[in-house]
Amino acid sequence: MKPSRNQNPQILWTIGGGKGGSGKSFLTANIGVCLSRLGAEVILVDADLGGANLHTLLGILPPFPSLSDFMRRRIPHLRDVLIATGIPNLQLITGAQDLLNAADSKNLQKRRVLRSIKALEGDYILVDLGGGNAVSVLDFFLMSDGGILVVTPEPTSIENTYRFLKSALYRKLRQSVSSHLVKSLIDAAMDGKNEMGIRNPHDLLREVRQLSHEEGERVIEEVKAFRPNLILNQVQSKKDVEIGFSIRSACRKYFGIHLHYLGYIVYDQEVGSSIRKRRPLILEHDRSKAAQCITEIASKLANSHQRSFSFERTVR
Amino acid sequence: MRRIEEQTYYEILEVSPEATPREIEKAYERAKETFHVDSPAIYTLFSKEEIEEIQGAIEEAHRVLMNEDLRKSYDQAHQEVIQQSSPGRLPEVEGKFQEKGSPLSFSDLALNIEEVDYRGAGLKQIRERLGIDLKTIAAETKINIKILTWIEEEDLKHLPPLVYLKGFLKSYAKVLHLDPQRLIEGYLQLLKEGKKR
Repeated sequence: MKPSRNQNPQILWTIGGGKGGSGKSFLTANIGVCLSRLGAEVILVDADLGGANLHTLLGILPPFPSLSDFMRRRIPHLRDVLIATGIPNLQLITGAQDLLNAADSKNLQKRRVLRSIKALEGDYILVDLGGGNAVSVLDFFLMSDGGILVVTPEPTSIENTYRFLKSALYRKLRQSVSSHLVKSLIDAAMDGKNEMGIRNPHDLLREVRQLSHEEGERVIEEVKAFRPNLILNQVQSKKDVEIGFSIRSACRKYFGIHLHYLGYIVYDQEVGSSIRKRRPLILEHDRSKAAQCITEIASKLANSHQRSFSFERTVR
Repeated sequence: MRRIEEQTYYEILEVSPEATPREIEKAYERAKETFHVDSPAIYTLFSKEEIEEIQGAIEEAHRVLMNEDLRKSYDQAHQEVIQQSSPGRLPEVEGKFQEKGSPLSFSDLALNIEEVDYRGAGLKQIRERLGIDLKTIAAETKINIKILTWIEEEDLKHLPPLVYLKGFLKSYAKVLHLDPQRLIEGYLQLLKEGKKR
């Protein structure tokens, strides 16, 4: 008998970050498995529209209904695209398989997908995003209760993450202000070499205030409300772990935002081995160091919302 | 959202106004590391001049806050602004997540599960780190909560006979995804030591 769903509204997490290969899909799959093992009903959505492969990490072979079918209106409701993963309490919406230009999906289509994801019935919805700073990726990231950035300790990954954060924050600010002049100012600020000398969000705020005090206050509120989370992946030393704190401090000083350092995943060869076997690490090597780090992060996520799930619902 | 020159010394070092000298020293070391010219976390965000400005602010904040008299004078002179930025209003404690006080604090993450002693206290530590309460363990294992408490407290007087205890430890270990054999061995060692005493 299928247990009734938790009465609380669903919690939506988007997992993104600037760089491909940082482990977003791997973590989405494994955090999802952890949450499902706590007894929560979890839905994973592969929104990496250009390079979907969450299904592979869960060992699911095509053909199956995918987000493409919903986007092309071959399937009218997103819930009908859900497929069972074989893991109790865990369902998946696989990414677009055949739309080469899916990443540039039209605005209306994107809004329909976003709306439908929010309407899915589950305790946790985890949305795996593609790399890069395309507007569609940013909009998916911003729809979440808490966006999660996955970063590796390499300078290239950190650099791309900052670029992503800046794009996401400015996109959020642009959506929140009503004045066209301020919107244009934000657009101009995206160019780091703009003529107005806007180099960071503090400079932007100064310029916005000159145009409108009210819009300036709105910008302050939006920055305050922007609270992404950080997972540092593939750490190999204590120094690597410290980089997470440094990124957090740098974000506070530069963007004026509070980035929450959710945790880190140690580099572990078992990860590669589980991916090659197309099995989630949590199921394949649940005592590996990386699996323990993921379990702890998943517990933090579950506990952050004070959810309690009955272990009776957990099937092992 | 304030520029570095508008921030209090506490905000610059990212500590609470009630921070102890030890906490301030630790925060200072971390800030120095973060804003070191070679830090991978800053070079794409800040210009050389901005880094120097932040480094100067960190040094000054440290100099004042580590001197009891200077800190007292600073606190008195900036009472209002410090209160405004006191922990209750700082972003880090307003969010859904709190790194301190949450069932799984970040410092706990640094704990290596392999190094935890698989006895009562270690078991409790792992359970709490996973954010699972004892009632849940009792429901999952069907073991009386009193017995679980005795196991965690290493209350040798009340522990059930060995043959039952082994089964209980095995069930408990399974819920936490621990190695049951290792837990049983650790606990038997504890019993041996208890008998010797």
